[in-house]
This record gives sequence, structure tokens and C-alpha cells, in this order.
Amino acid sequence: MHDIADLETRGVPGVFVASDEFVTAADAQSVSLGMPDVKRVFVTHPIQDRTDDEMVALADRFFDEIIAGITRRPIPRT
Amino acid sequence: MTGVNDRTAGNTVLDPTNESRPAVRTLLERPDSLEGLVVGLLDISKPRGNVFLDRIESRVTAMGATVLRYSKPTFTKPAPVDLRHEIATHCNVVIEALAD
Amino acid sequence: MPNGRPALPDGLVLVMKQECATCRLVEPLVARIAGEAGPLTVWVQDDPSFVGGATALHDSDLAVSWHNSIETVPTLMVVREGRETERTVGWSREDWRRITGIADLGGDLPPVRPGCGSMSVDPDLTDELRVRFTGDTLTARHVEFSSAEDEFEAMFARGWTDGLPVVPPTRERVLRMLSGTTRAPSDVVALCPPDLVELTVEKIAINAVMAGCLPEYMPWVIAALEAVCNDTFNMHGVLATTMPVGPVIICNGPGTRAIGMNSGINVLGQGNRANSTIGRAVQLTVRNVGGGRPGEVDRATHGNPGKVSFCFAEDELNSPFTPLAQWRGMKPGTDAVTVFAGEGPRGMVDQLARTPDELCQSLAASLLPMQHPKLVIGFDAILIISPDHGRIFREAGWDRDRVLTELTALTTRHGSGLVRGAGGIAEGIPPHLADAMLPKFRAGGLLITYAGGGAGLFSSMVAGWANGSVGSEPVTRAVAS
Repeated sequence: MHDIADLETRGVPGVFVASDEFVTAADAQSVSLGMPDVKRVFVTHPIQDRTDDEMVALADRFFDEIIAGITRRPIPRT
Repeated sequence: MTGVNDRTAGNTVLDPTNESRPAVRTLLERPDSLEGLVVGLLDISKPRGNVFLDRIESRVTAMGATVLRYSKPTFTKPAPVDLRHEIATHCNVVIEALAD
Repeated sequence: MPNGRPALPDGLVLVMKQECATCRLVEPLVARIAGEAGPLTVWVQDDPSFVGGATALHDSDLAVSWHNSIETVPTLMVVREGRETERTVGWSREDWRRITGIADLGGDLPPVRPGCGSMSVDPDLTDELRVRFTGDTLTARHVEFSSAEDEFEAMFARGWTDGLPVVPPTRERVLRMLSGTTRAPSDVVALCPPDLVELTVEKIAINAVMAGCLPEYMPWVIAALEAVCNDTFNMHGVLATTMPVGPVIICNGPGTRAIGMNSGINVLGQGNRANSTIGRAVQLTVRNVGGGRPGEVDRATHGNPGKVSFCFAEDELNSPFTPLAQWRGMKPGTDAVTVFAGEGPRGMVDQLARTPDELCQSLAASLLPMQHPKLVIGFDAILIISPDHGRIFREAGWDRDRVLTELTALTTRHGSGLVRGAGGIAEGIPPHLADAMLPKFRAGGLLITYAGGGAGLFSSMVAGWANGSVGSEPVTRAVAS
């Protein structure tokens, strides 16, 4: 998240994608970076033992939320 | 209510400015759409992240954006300053993935 | 109301602390005073149980002591209609007998015994007490940094600095800074350019903390900001210009020595806290409160390092000249600042001049090229004469007026050589002045000062920004505590 926060200060809006194991760590880190609203999306863990097809499906499932982090588009209601 | 010696609540300072801007650091304005923009995809280099980002890349390209791919030498440290500078120079927005 | 001033009851009021030997010495008198000279109210700062002769109240939060400026214990006060009419501190048999009207009070005690420091002026407690009793006089917005955030990085990230780290302006530090001035925190000192925001003493104190000032510098910082935030000095113009100028602050008066300013070795350089932080506080205030930041309103092409801070004191004790502030109209001995829209300093070497005439020839030759050799009158300058050069004037008995007269004569030239195009140089004065005799500087435009280390046959000069109605005029302002 340091990278996304740093890129934000360099003028590049960004979003950080992590597994949902990361939620509390990401919250704490964002506060300590002084940027509590840093955009982040949490995808369902696990990651490591997913097949390629499962990874593609995961990307599709969270795609809109990720794009919402870097555009003004609201997350569509599903 | 923070006491004078209450360390757990962090540090409170008085604002030295004319207070015309918000006190908290706000994020940048986001673009309305990605069409025509350069989107950087930053791989933190953990296994399987590249498959995830490949799919993101093809869908972002389908939205009419150009994708540039980057990867960190290691996920254990922040990205080197040269890499961050390069992304900032060439990209309008960035997606960093995938930490687990 | 927790921080309000507690009312004093009429009669006698005695403030003590058990830890104080003099208080324990006089404690046996309490019963008699209560009985014969009452009503008597006793406040004890630490342990009231040591008082046997009357019911003692515990000034546990030190509100009574603070609000009544108790500096020494015991303090015995006379109160009439809620107001103190007199007090005595420590034990003085004569005073206590007179105040209580008990003619033989304390006959077995020594005639005099000094008191002890009051807890309300204990250096370890004063910051906390200040916050407790005056904290509500602060109205600036609070900014929270999380405990995990590095406060110095956080201030950089918020754009509050001049590129160097700043001291975090906590309430304690700001209140401590405010103790350096008698002005109220809410007093409006000026409208600060470029945004023309009301500049309060509180906001100045916040920026003075960040700059690293001591509380005793506050009157100087306030005076300098009063001096720059007006149309005469034209701080807005000084900021917005592409020329490399910033406020140069020249300090005069015995107060400069009291606060430890440097007027000697390396006077224009780094290393002295007062010189560096007073100038820095002015710059940070204009930046943060006024909104004057490089790249925004500040469009300077090159700028100069003095825009971090450029503040120095004249060496009045050794100067052959009157202090600059006095020349500019202040009464002798007045603490004052003169602000000048100036660049960084330039040096001038003359290690061979023996007479004041020779030295003035050198100085004149070095002054003529200021801003441009062919431009005259539209720019002012500061001349900083070093002690070694000053000695030449002193030994010849030349005072400021004499030097100025000589320099003016030596820097007056015929316009024909100065007009645009003359000498193959496009720059210059308009052709209609070709026949005039023109001084380099307008009357009052050359500010002669004296400062520097004892060795070195060099002097310095500082070129000014444009003067006149679209430019900046120097401003001199008295420093008030």
C-alpha cells in the first residue's frame, strides 16, 4: 500500500487489490501512511491454490469494484 | 477527549494554515472513465498475481484504455523509486495487485 | 466552570504548600490569624492536612494559584469586595503584623524568612497548567496525526514546510510561544497577502513554533509581519514577482542582544537560532496563512536562499553609524525591525583602501552595477559595512551622513551613458533623461548598516526589488512586547 499511497502523491490515482485476509492490516497501514481513504479492494482468499480459470473468475467478480477505485463510476448494485 | 499526555490517540497539532483546505489528506480526483487513458498494472510479484492481472488487462483494454505492465522486484519492500517515477510519468491511473 | 477564575473570598487569603519549610514555620500562626483577624481562607497546593489551626482548602488543580499569579508560598493577600488590594510573599514579621493587625504576631519566629517556589510556576508543570487554564483561548483547527504516522513526515505531506522539517505545533508548544507576547491570541495583526487572510497572534505563534522560535522572539516576529503585510512593503508584489527577492529583516535595539541575535561573525549565514528562526517564521506564516507558495503565487525565476530566512541584527555597540532604525525615524534605543524586499547578498573585496575616500570609491564602483549598471533610481539597496571597513570610517570621523553624501556623489552619473542602447546594451534609462545627472539611488534608497565579524576587509550589499508605487518600500516598525 505504500506504493499506491506514494503514487497518489505523485498525481496517479490508484487502487490496491489484496485478499480479504488483509483487511485489518490494510486499515492500519493506511492510517499510519496518513491516507486512511486509500482505495483498496479485497478479493476472496485463498489465492495461491486457485486454478487459472478460478483466477480469471475472481478478476471478473471484483472487476467493477476495482475500476470504481480509479474512476468516478459508482460500484453497480448487483 | 484526548488528555495532554495521552499517547495512544496520536498527536494533535494546531493548523498553521488559513484553514481553507480540508484537514485530512484527500485523494486525487478520479477520471470519469478509462477510455483513452493509460492504465498501469503493477504486479507485486506474488505467485498467481500475473494470471489475475492478465484478465484485468484484457478487460481494461476492452474498455478502450492502454495498459502498461510493471512488476516489483520483490513484494517484501515498497517499489523502487525509479519504478514509481516511471509509473507516474507514463500512467494516468494504476492498479496494484495481488497481495495475500 | 473548570477553567474559570475562582472568586476570592473577602478577608485574608493565605496560599501555602506543605513541602515549603517557611509555610511550616508560619502554620502555627494560622489559628490566631483566623481568630483575631479573620475571616481567613487558607489554600494549600499539596497537602492541606498540615494546617491545623483552620480548615484548609486544597488547590488541587492549582486554579486559585494560577489565576492569582501566586509565584511564592506562603503568599498572604488582603481581599476587599472580591478584589485583591495587597499581598506579601514569604514570611516578613513586619508585613504580617501590619496586614493582620496583630501587633505581637510571630514574636518567636525570625523576623524574615524567604518563601519557596509556588507549584503553579514549577517548570515541570507550567506547560500542562497553561493548557488547562488558557487552552480554550486557542481557536485554530486541530489536526490529528495517528500515533503510527511520523509527525514530521505528516507535516511535509501537508505542504506546511519550506522544504526543511518543522517543529510540530502542539497546543503546549503554541501556548508556550504565546507566553512571549502580551497580545491576545485572537488579536488580528494584519491581513496576510496574498489571500488577505486575517493574521492572528495565534496563527503567528503556530508558525513560530514550526520555525523553531523561542517565546521571546514573538514580539520580533509579530513586528516583522506587521511591517511586511501592508501596501507600502507590498508583500503580495514581493511574492508574485519573477525577481529573486524576499523580505530581508534588519533588527535594531538592545532587545536584539537580549534575545541573543547575531551581529558578528557569519552574521548573514547559518547557526544563530534567533536570526534563522525569526526570518523563517515570517516566511512560513506568509506561506501557510497567506497562501504564498512557490509555484502558485510565488513565481520567482530563481529565487534566492534568503527566502528560507534572511534576518540579522546590526552591531550597534561598535558601529560608527547611528542604528538604521534611528536613521529611519525611530527614537534612539528603540527595538525595531526594518524590512526590505531584497535578494541574496553580494560581497565586495577591498583589502587595500586606507582612507575613507578610497574605500568609498570602491564601494561606489561596486554599487553602480546593482541590478544593472545602466539602471538607476528604481531599485534600492542595503550596504552592510564590515568592522574592518567600518574602522576606516571611524578613524576618520566619518558618520553615516558623511558616507552617504560621498557615495551619492560618486554614484551620480550623466544620463547619456545610461540610455537604452548606449554602449551596445539595450537595457537602460529612457532617452528623455539623457542630459540629466542621475544618482544611482533615490534619496533614502541606500540603507547603510554595520555588522559582521571582526576580521575581513570585505563588505556586502543586497540589491532590492523595484521601489515606488508598483514596487516595495522599506518599512520600519517598533517591536512591542
